[in-house]
Amino acid sequence: MNFVVPDFYPAAAEIFVAVMALVIMLAGAFARSVRWLAYTLTQLTLVGAALITIFVPSVDVSYTFSGMFVSDLFGNVLKLLIYLAVGVALLYGRGYLADRRMERPEYYLLAVLMTLGMMVMVSANHLLTLYIGLEMMSLALYGMTAFDRDSVRSTEAAMKYFVLGALASGLLLYGMSMIYGATGALDFVSIKDALYFQTANKTVLLFGLVFLMAGIAFKLGVVPFHMWVPDVYQGAPTAVTLLIASAPKLAAFAMTMRLLVFALFELAEQWQAMLMFLAVLSIILGNLAAIAQSNIKRMLAYSGISHMGFMLLGLVAGVVSGETHNAITAYSAAMFYAVAYVLMSLASFGMVLLLARAGFEAEEIDDFKGLNKRSPWFAAMMMIVMFSMAGIPFFIGFFAKLAVLQSVVAAGYVWLAVLAVVMSVIGAFYYLRVVKVMYFDAPADDAPIHAPAEMRVMMSVNGLSIAALGLMPQGLTYLCWIALLASLT
Amino acid sequence: MLESYFPVLVFILVGLGFGIVPILLGRLVAPWRPDSEKLSPYECGFEAFEDARMKFDVRYYLIAILFILFDLEIAFLFPWATVFQDFIAAGEHAWFVFGAVMVFLAVLVIGYIVEWKNGALDWE
Amino acid sequence: MEAMLEPVAQFFGPTWPLVWTLVKIVAIIAPLMICVAYLTLAERKVIGYMQVRIGPNRVGPLGLLQPIADGMKLLFKEIIVPSGASKGLFILGPILAIAPSLVAWAVVPFDEGLVLANVNAGLLFLLAVTSMEVYGVIVAGWASNSKYPFLGSMRAAAQMVSYEVSMGFALICVLLISASLNLTDIVLSQGSGRFHDMGLSFLSWNWLPLLPMFVVFVISGIAETNRAPFDVVEGEAEVVAGHMVEYSGMSFALFFLAEYANMILVSILTSVLFLGGWLSPVGFLPDGFHWLALKTAAILFIFLWARATFPRFRYDHIMRLGWKVFIPVTLVWVIVVAVWMMSPLSIWR
Repeated sequence: MNFVVPDFYPAAAEIFVAVMALVIMLAGAFARSVRWLAYTLTQLTLVGAALITIFVPSVDVSYTFSGMFVSDLFGNVLKLLIYLAVGVALLYGRGYLADRRMERPEYYLLAVLMTLGMMVMVSANHLLTLYIGLEMMSLALYGMTAFDRDSVRSTEAAMKYFVLGALASGLLLYGMSMIYGATGALDFVSIKDALYFQTANKTVLLFGLVFLMAGIAFKLGVVPFHMWVPDVYQGAPTAVTLLIASAPKLAAFAMTMRLLVFALFELAEQWQAMLMFLAVLSIILGNLAAIAQSNIKRMLAYSGISHMGFMLLGLVAGVVSGETHNAITAYSAAMFYAVAYVLMSLASFGMVLLLARAGFEAEEIDDFKGLNKRSPWFAAMMMIVMFSMAGIPFFIGFFAKLAVLQSVVAAGYVWLAVLAVVMSVIGAFYYLRVVKVMYFDAPADDAPIHAPAEMRVMMSVNGLSIAALGLMPQGLTYLCWIALLASLT
Repeated sequence: MLESYFPVLVFILVGLGFGIVPILLGRLVAPWRPDSEKLSPYECGFEAFEDARMKFDVRYYLIAILFILFDLEIAFLFPWATVFQDFIAAGEHAWFVFGAVMVFLAVLVIGYIVEWKNGALDWE
Repeated sequence: MEAMLEPVAQFFGPTWPLVWTLVKIVAIIAPLMICVAYLTLAERKVIGYMQVRIGPNRVGPLGLLQPIADGMKLLFKEIIVPSGASKGLFILGPILAIAPSLVAWAVVPFDEGLVLANVNAGLLFLLAVTSMEVYGVIVAGWASNSKYPFLGSMRAAAQMVSYEVSMGFALICVLLISASLNLTDIVLSQGSGRFHDMGLSFLSWNWLPLLPMFVVFVISGIAETNRAPFDVVEGEAEVVAGHMVEYSGMSFALFFLAEYANMILVSILTSVLFLGGWLSPVGFLPDGFHWLALKTAAILFIFLWARATFPRFRYDHIMRLGWKVFIPVTLVWVIVVAVWMMSPLSIWR
């Protein structure tokens, strides 16, 4: 029997998280009354997974489970960022959930399973592994969106998310099956080889690519597959919105990279054209629609759409008339953008959570009125986040935009860069409106900000990190660049 | 290989035919005199006063979902059980193959324990 | 035999395989239907004598023509399709009930080489086909658009799927031991071992090492076919006749046939999987189909005996037995058998 025992080391972090998910499940069933247990276990899981990710797998690219799973620097860096994002999001959301009697062990269980799904997605080297990871993440998110079971909006948002998400998964799966049909391979390395040696059926391949792009666009939430984003962001409990808007974006970026760059790199000319279309539409629609919003969760949702469009600009600029020497820089710009967006997204939704209290949701932009009078410190934090999102120097968002635009210009798409700049100037309006409301309007209510100490500290760290990374972006830039360099070549 | 399934296919058609023919036969030879009283739904002599397709206990859904999980589990165990003896005969990897399935079972058992603990298996 | 059939085969030409298969299918279904008919009589007689009554004795000598009279009566009864019912599904229900209970017989071996389709995934096929059974019930209950059938079919569906799980685990145990999905191989694998060499081959059949599974399988079989004491589905005090309330005439007869055909199927499967099929229980007697018939009849007698003896279970007790007793027991026994096979004490090397 030609049976080989697989090497488990590259997947050590995933195995650890899976085991911990079971532990949390049991803890949720048998120690329900111990309120802090599930939360603590979840944070410990994330810390443990981070330690394993740092110390166990080798730096080299290593494949395991018959080439279904890959451990490389790109994946490990993203995984570390995912742990961080999930950990911070859970920390921010805890008080909010407790106020609304939703802090049940199942919430943390779903969060851990979502993390596991994202880890599998990030480390996938096989269409099926990728799909399993994606579904694991998505199903957990659907469940969490409906976590406020008695709220009509929450369940409606979950239903919408689920139906559209299932449709997108179907499209993705259809695209995968076509790619499998065209290349006869499921793992990314073999797909790449099949494309390189031109053995694949081009027509089927392109059809597959179109379906794949639809699935990817849905998961990223870019136009024209963005319909779910505002409704889900608004309908879900804010703690869940925070989770949806942060770490999954990194996972979706990883999925895009794995599928398009790691597997279908030979088709770069084709998918770049499609991505450009998606990116331009997202930037325009996201920014324009955000202006009209009075609900801050919706506004941030539309702003997220435009940010994802910006992020895609980096992927557009990889291959120019067959030349690939610009590729790593362009892709690392996109990765930098994704990381920066997640940081800003955490901080902005974190502020919404910070202002919320039992029986009150700070969902309207008007709820931020006169924040400066109530808490100058957090008003400053929110200002940093808003400035950074608008792309005002010198915050991290500025450098993210700059890097992406640089690579777009280097690729020769000057019109694209001009359009992006114009749209981000328009977009600056709605970010600055929030700042204006905070500083120049009279407060609508004078209730003091009530939040646990660890959340205040984390919020400050988050806001300051956006400013600090804006002053010294080189470290993160280099990390993105080296991760891609080590994994792609 | 596939030829051996030909009789199965024929049997499926015959089986369906065995269901259809008696009904047709009954329709032909038996009387056919429907009236509105005869065709009304049976409700112990009362008039039916609401639609019969009503809400039912959510536990039926739970049972259905649990059944799918367990049945899937059994479907996954089938190939394992078929080749397990070959692995034992070969001597190597037997413990690994055993352990892999035990991990698989353990995940299910933990879910089962949690279901039990949460009362999903209770019928009052 | 082959030589005798040669001219007939030439007459049919290329359609001969189809015709020959149809002949074989008829050779299975016709005796099966006779068995079903006389099983109903046997049931009434056995229960009658157990309750110190005589049972049917008017139609024909000793009531032997009773099943035929019953069949005739059902045939000449009007088929009612209620006005509120979904017509198509209502007709489809009984067809979906009878078809799987017949199709499953395609892979049942009656003797060595005496099987319609000797497929190598027989057990999997059986599991698949018997799972189809539940559709007939649930379609019938839904299509009737009447309360008792609806509630009855929900109960029946939940009960059938619950016991299917423990049955599936029992099958896994058999599979572990015989290492084949082919039912003929499963029978033949029971014809070896230490006791077989001593001439006591009935002790080397699967029932002894898998005793808990054997018990679980028989009980699950009773529950799976919705027979007493698990017949809450048609518990007349609660839901009248369950999913069959709105059916009459031949459409009712099909459910009836399906139920009894399933009983015989479960019995013969028990014999094949656990009781050595057509193998002779002792060394000095030859193997043969009669052994299988005898074993099946014995299991069928247990079905009837249980009906005459036990009061009906309450529904929550049924679900508790299925989910909280049988599933843990079978799960543990799968592990026990796997460990046993790997240990030096293994009797299946």
